[in-house]
Amino acid sequence: MKEEVFTFIVGGKAGEGVRKAGSVTARLFASMGRQVFNMDDYGSLIKGGHNFSVVSTAKRKITSHYINADLVVAPDKRSYDIHKGHLSERGIMVYNYDTVGEAEGVGVPLTTEAKKYPKPDLRIGVGAVATVAAVIGSDKEALRNLIKSEYPRDIENNIAYAMTIYDIVYPKIGNKFQLQRGDKERPIVTGNEAIALGAAAGGLDIYYAYPMTPSSSILHYLAAHDKELGVTAVHPENEIAVMNMAIGSAFAGAKTMVGSSGGGFALMQEAFSLAGMVEAPLLCYLGSRPGPSTGVPTHTAQGDLNFALHQGHGEFARIVASPGSMEEAFYLTAEMLDLVWRFQTPGIILTDKHMAESRVTVDIDAKKTRWPETATHSGGEYKRYLDTENGVSPLLFPPSKELIKWDSYEHDEMGVTTEDPSMIAKMQEKRNRKKKAVADYLTNMHTVNVYGNTGPVILTYGSTTMSVLEALRCREIEAMVVQPVYLEPLPVWELEKYKENSVIVVELSCAGQFASLLAEKVGIQPKAVIKKYDGRPFDPVELASRIKEVV
Amino acid sequence: MDDLATYAENTWCLGCGNFGILGAFKKAVRILEEKGTGREKIMISAGIGCHGKIFDYLKLSGLYSIHGRSMATIQGMKIANPDLKVVAFAGDGDAFGEGIAHMIFAAKRNADITIILHDNGVYGLTTGQFTPTSEKGFKGPSTPKGSIEEPLNPLALMLEAKATFVARGYPVKLDHLVDIMVQAVEHQGFSFVDVLQPCVSFNNTYKRYNALVEILDHVPDSYQEAISIAKRQDKLPLGIIYKEEKLPYHKALYGDWNPVTKRMSKEERIKRIEALLSR
Ligand SMILES: Cc1ncc(C[n+]2csc(CCOP(=O)(O)OP(=O)(O)O)c2C)c(N)n1
Ligand code: SF4
Ligand SMILES: [Mg+2]
Repeated sequence: MKEEVFTFIVGGKAGEGVRKAGSVTARLFASMGRQVFNMDDYGSLIKGGHNFSVVSTAKRKITSHYINADLVVAPDKRSYDIHKGHLSERGIMVYNYDTVGEAEGVGVPLTTEAKKYPKPDLRIGVGAVATVAAVIGSDKEALRNLIKSEYPRDIENNIAYAMTIYDIVYPKIGNKFQLQRGDKERPIVTGNEAIALGAAAGGLDIYYAYPMTPSSSILHYLAAHDKELGVTAVHPENEIAVMNMAIGSAFAGAKTMVGSSGGGFALMQEAFSLAGMVEAPLLCYLGSRPGPSTGVPTHTAQGDLNFALHQGHGEFARIVASPGSMEEAFYLTAEMLDLVWRFQTPGIILTDKHMAESRVTVDIDAKKTRWPETATHSGGEYKRYLDTENGVSPLLFPPSKELIKWDSYEHDEMGVTTEDPSMIAKMQEKRNRKKKAVADYLTNMHTVNVYGNTGPVILTYGSTTMSVLEALRCREIEAMVVQPVYLEPLPVWELEKYKENSVIVVELSCAGQFASLLAEKVGIQPKAVIKKYDGRPFDPVELASRIKEVV
Repeated sequence: MDDLATYAENTWCLGCGNFGILGAFKKAVRILEEKGTGREKIMISAGIGCHGKIFDYLKLSGLYSIHGRSMATIQGMKIANPDLKVVAFAGDGDAFGEGIAHMIFAAKRNADITIILHDNGVYGLTTGQFTPTSEKGFKGPSTPKGSIEEPLNPLALMLEAKATFVARGYPVKLDHLVDIMVQAVEHQGFSFVDVLQPCVSFNNTYKRYNALVEILDHVPDSYQEAISIAKRQDKLPLGIIYKEEKLPYHKALYGDWNPVTKRMSKEERIKRIEALLSR
């Protein structure tokens, strides 16, 4: 690994503030103008178990955490044992002397010191942050300010504890890794925050969701900032209500979004087709975790690609897109909101836990978004399902003197139910034409990201794009990374040119769904498919060697 | 000319109780218009079943929903634009089979919506199976030896779920039903109207209902009294069984906001996003 990256891991039981310590450390690095990638590995439980947070930082762009750390803080024996194996060649283990005893590394009495204050368990994370500050040579004033802003409860005790730990650690390994300042301080967002803010930037009015990891934090974020953003966030009884309420809201003219993960999304399928039939503009967010069924709730996978592409019964246009970076998550969500309104059909933003919940420094310009443009009724008798050339009928919202009927049954242009064969055929064709209209429109848009211009072609998508780019960076491998942002319709027109290349596909799926899609739609026969399906994202070093193996 | 009718062909069986519901609702709309609520503000929805066909027969805007979901559909309309009045026509299978969770939660959160239940004790459109409100012993194609389940009591269930307006009507007592419908739509909160609807093809209850219905002479003033009226077996009391003023859901959610008419400007929105990002 090139020395330019510094990685910190803190482990511990759920409920001990491990994830908080990771995110605060990420802030510390970001405040130095450095870039950060912070990934949490945690279980589906509230207390106990083993959680850890990895924070990697560099002065340049960084798009993955690294599993081998330069500094580990282990508050307990289990963390010590697990993360001993994660130390880099130059790595230092700082462990809690009170729980681990005599061991290799630097023992610090984290618990003894914490016990001088109330709720000692909750303070261990602060100790971890203080350790990082000492090791990277950050001064005490900076640490004090950080603790003040990040641990607003019980500030004085937290500061006192942090200072004590700093003073114990500093003489032993203080300033061991002098991290340089970077170019500028950037905001840190999770993929879900980027999506929530991107939706808001794109004109979102209402968000409906039922909690399900890893999608829940969008609901939490929008509910917390509802007044500030002028967005309404609603948590109904189940995902079926979510989807049907959202369609009702779209009928009334609200820009609406829903979100869930696999199981919850499965419950939305019936109404997803309703949206297809009534031609409701509706943006859906699908955050994947390893399935099938309950699967592994708090981990990651790209196993829902086919599910997303084939969402709903019956024939109608669907739009599916998957962002390859946090910035793209922001802009793409706004763009998708525009698309579903432009074509009045449901669309899906597909990500996974790795993107949804990782925290990354970003450069986002919120002004570079626009609000949806829709075909609107301009006078005369209104026909909801007016048969048009591209299949898109003008919209009109209540209250209106005109009759506005959206119908789940097959219908005529007025939205009145029909079983007439010629009308059925006409409406099937109308909806079908929208598929072509969407594809034609996308032809003039940026639908595929290409990074690099020489070397083997690596095809990937979604969050795995971040892993691939970091793998290439860390081992200085020359390759061309091709990432379709849109997956339905798949921009075959852009991808066809790679048919003759020797292609490698990288994805987080056991069945290789992305590779199959490329074979089926584009005719790409990859030379190798690099897969991972243990619920964990790729480590860039490991991925780099797998890429080297096959090229 | 009936300006509340569409050109859709009516396919209900002759004598079906749904005709009375359709006629009553048209009258109710006209009264609401006289009282100041224009028809352009009254949105309708319906589930799938014989009852749902009312959507096509009424010249009113709305969304013909799917089986058991119309109450979710209209809640979404209301949340998006609280200036609208929203009414769902539901079937007994529709509302208390597929849609029971939505019914209970809509009542629980006092969503400002109106549900008109076409309670015929049978799945009409799918040819006569038993529903959640069918009597024990009901014989239908899926229960040839008679239903072995107890029926639900829609009125008691909705009261228990904290509905703030619960009523029962009967199309044969047309003007009485019209009055209930008007009050239900005007009620600010969750209003539920259980309409005893004979199905002449699969569950002809005219005779039984004619013998048992009894118009209440007052609106009960306690919840306890309402519950006991809802549970009466000897008679089928008609009228408003319970009414309570309570803050409707959308007001509790966002006060006087309206997501579509009071939408924040793009410039303001972007400013707020930038502020959140720089925090
Ligand atoms: C999800 C779903 N399941 C089943 C059906 C088939 N279906 C259509 S109507 C109906 C029953 C209708 O009964 P009810 O709601 O009581 O309405 P009624 O016909 O009696 O007015 C069923 C089961 C459907 N349309 N959708
Ligand atoms: S089957 Fe019953 S409910 Fe349906 S139209 Fe005929 S009488 Fe009415
Ligand atoms: Mg019925």
